[in-house]
Amino acid sequence: MKTLNKNKFAVIALLLGMIGLAFAPATDKIIVKGSDTLVILAQRWAEVYMKSHPETAIQVTGGGSGVGISALINGATDIANASRKMKPSEKDKLKERYNTLGVEVACAKDGITVYLHPSNKVKELTIKQLSDIYKGTIKNWKEVGGADAEIKLYGRENSSGTYVFFQENVVKGDYAPSCQTLPGTAAVVNAVKKDPAGIGYGGAAYAEGIEICKVKKDANSPGVLPTAETIKSNEYPITRYLYMYLKNKPTGAIKQYIDWILSPEGQKLVVEVGYFPVK
Amino acid sequence: MKRLSLIALMLISAFTFKAKAQEATVKEQVTEVNEKVNGLIERLATDEADLQKLAKIKVSGYMQAQWQYFENPGVQPNNFVSLRRARLKFTYEAADGVKFLLQPDFLPGAVSLREAYVVLNDRWTKSFSLWAGKFNRPNYEVEYSSSQLENLERSLVIRTLYPGEYALGAKLEYKPSMIPIHIQLALLNGNDGLTINNSAGVNLNSNENKDIDNYKDIMVRATYNLKLGSFGGLDFGAHGYFGSLKSNALNTLSSDYTTLKSVNIGDAVKRNWVGGEFQLFADVLGGMSLKGEYIAGKNASIGYAPVAAVGTTAAVPGVANFQNNFAGYYLYFIKNLGKKNQFSFRYDYYDPNTDISGKDVTITKFTAPDATTLKNKASGKSDLATSTFGFALHHYFDDNLRISLDYDIVQNEKVSAAGLLTEDYTKADGTKVPAGLDYSKVVNNNVLTLRIQAKF
Repeated sequence: MKTLNKNKFAVIALLLGMIGLAFAPATDKIIVKGSDTLVILAQRWAEVYMKSHPETAIQVTGGGSGVGISALINGATDIANASRKMKPSEKDKLKERYNTLGVEVACAKDGITVYLHPSNKVKELTIKQLSDIYKGTIKNWKEVGGADAEIKLYGRENSSGTYVFFQENVVKGDYAPSCQTLPGTAAVVNAVKKDPAGIGYGGAAYAEGIEICKVKKDANSPGVLPTAETIKSNEYPITRYLYMYLKNKPTGAIKQYIDWILSPEGQKLVVEVGYFPVK
Repeated sequence: MKRLSLIALMLISAFTFKAKAQEATVKEQVTEVNEKVNGLIERLATDEADLQKLAKIKVSGYMQAQWQYFENPGVQPNNFVSLRRARLKFTYEAADGVKFLLQPDFLPGAVSLREAYVVLNDRWTKSFSLWAGKFNRPNYEVEYSSSQLENLERSLVIRTLYPGEYALGAKLEYKPSMIPIHIQLALLNGNDGLTINNSAGVNLNSNENKDIDNYKDIMVRATYNLKLGSFGGLDFGAHGYFGSLKSNALNTLSSDYTTLKSVNIGDAVKRNWVGGEFQLFADVLGGMSLKGEYIAGKNASIGYAPVAAVGTTAAVPGVANFQNNFAGYYLYFIKNLGKKNQFSFRYDYYDPNTDISGKDVTITKFTAPDATTLKNKASGKSDLATSTFGFALHHYFDDNLRISLDYDIVQNEKVSAAGLLTEDYTKADGTKVPAGLDYSKVVNNNVLTLRIQAKF
């Protein structure tokens, strides 16, 4: 029994030690990971915030919404940026590991922009046409009023929230196998810039030096460009929120940072970068 | 002058020739580089196509090594290191909506197939999925990953009702994206993990890949996720098991040892139970949850018919099937302590026979009208309830590595008087202690487990 008492003592000591470790003070380092759509904005937020809060270090990386959420689940990030909502299967994993359902913070609004080459005669497309183009049913630009040229599809990788959002809300089916997947919206924009028969999609903030396609809800609706007004009023048909996900209710430095992002100062940067404020 | 002009002309010609020669060389080099780049692009396209095929295969797994200390003096050796699980999971996404999964468990001396199934997801509504093969039975604790279990092993009631967790069969799942509801309907062989002995003590259910009878079991589970605002969420649901085993005996004895019903060999012996479950998640100081489940119903074990004497072989009296009314439940309290640590407490209770209380054990008996053809049966250890207080603490070094300490205080239901139900045991030095374990007291079955888990 003496041996056992020693064992019990060791167990209790180990338990107490581990509890002590759990409550060790946290540093003011914030890790942000996830959506490539949000990465420019997130970096801008971090830069500006760190200037006024030198005690806080913020590290921002992209990788895609899925990558960010996985990192949140496995404890590799404090904040996961996502351009789509968290999936039920991801919430289940968060429940298993942290016993929480996660906290969702809508931090900006975006209109998924359809990019075309400036030489393309097509200037507007309906949601149905976009769906058929990305499903591979419409294969030639002449079928939608353009030149006789095979449509070249560019899109994001399946770890991207934009990929998922566009698939669920526009394509409503499987992407055509011919769709070239590229790592990041900037790569999609570059590919379309170089390809007169190309079409791509991505965040509004990346649409520079490229033709922005007007999107129509249906054949009888007017074509709408993604602007602050049309996105705010939801007139633009492919409007979405951009999110930040956390494991728990934010406290300390993370809470201060998120409060700042949602403040007029933080939301001003949203507009500067090319997205739209949440309110 | 002429001479100078001639020299100049020669020099210019030489330069022009050299420049032309250089131009030709550059052109050749550009062509060469172009060809190389084209070759690389071609190779890259082939590699990319191969890589896309490989990306459809996902491999994950985990390994659990542990040291355990058993306080029961009858368990010898009382402490040892073992490999609890060493599993690899191969998933192949054959096409959008079609998934194959294979999960072997590589334990020293015994490789077993834990899971092997195909899932077909409906591509239109994206709400239904059809499973076929060997998969987890639809129950909360069963489906909860063994790598994530907070109290290292599942509760006794679950381990008893669903031995080995997995079962062969087919399952239809309904999980719409718009409503937080999840319905599972499974058709199972229903004999997985059960031991059904014949009169010679041979397990008739040793073929793990085949049903032992024509009866199929039905299992149904429905859950709903309710959001509770910023507080957290409540998941709740119910499940039911409706099955039968083939009788190999001529009688079935009731749970209270009083009623003997005549049956035929091949008749269905019912095993039915229902359960209710809840999981409450609260975002309080780093996350916590309360989880519980209550299950009650009728389980069954299969006996055998009497065997007549042949030559010098003596007759073997039969054993009646036994249908026991049971009840069991578990309750977890789990608290995350910062990002890296987690504490868990679980109380679990299982009463295998709700018709026999501890005081009646060994006193309540069935006496066969003819003990030469049917054995008598007295209530015993298998009718005693067990309650377990389990404490566990986990430290996550990272997502791949978890170290856990678990201490289970196991208590048995007591019989009415000393000496009524006892067991012998052997000490480490080989000394036998007759009737050393007396079930009129709590027999110490406490277990301490230190486990390290690597996961990828």
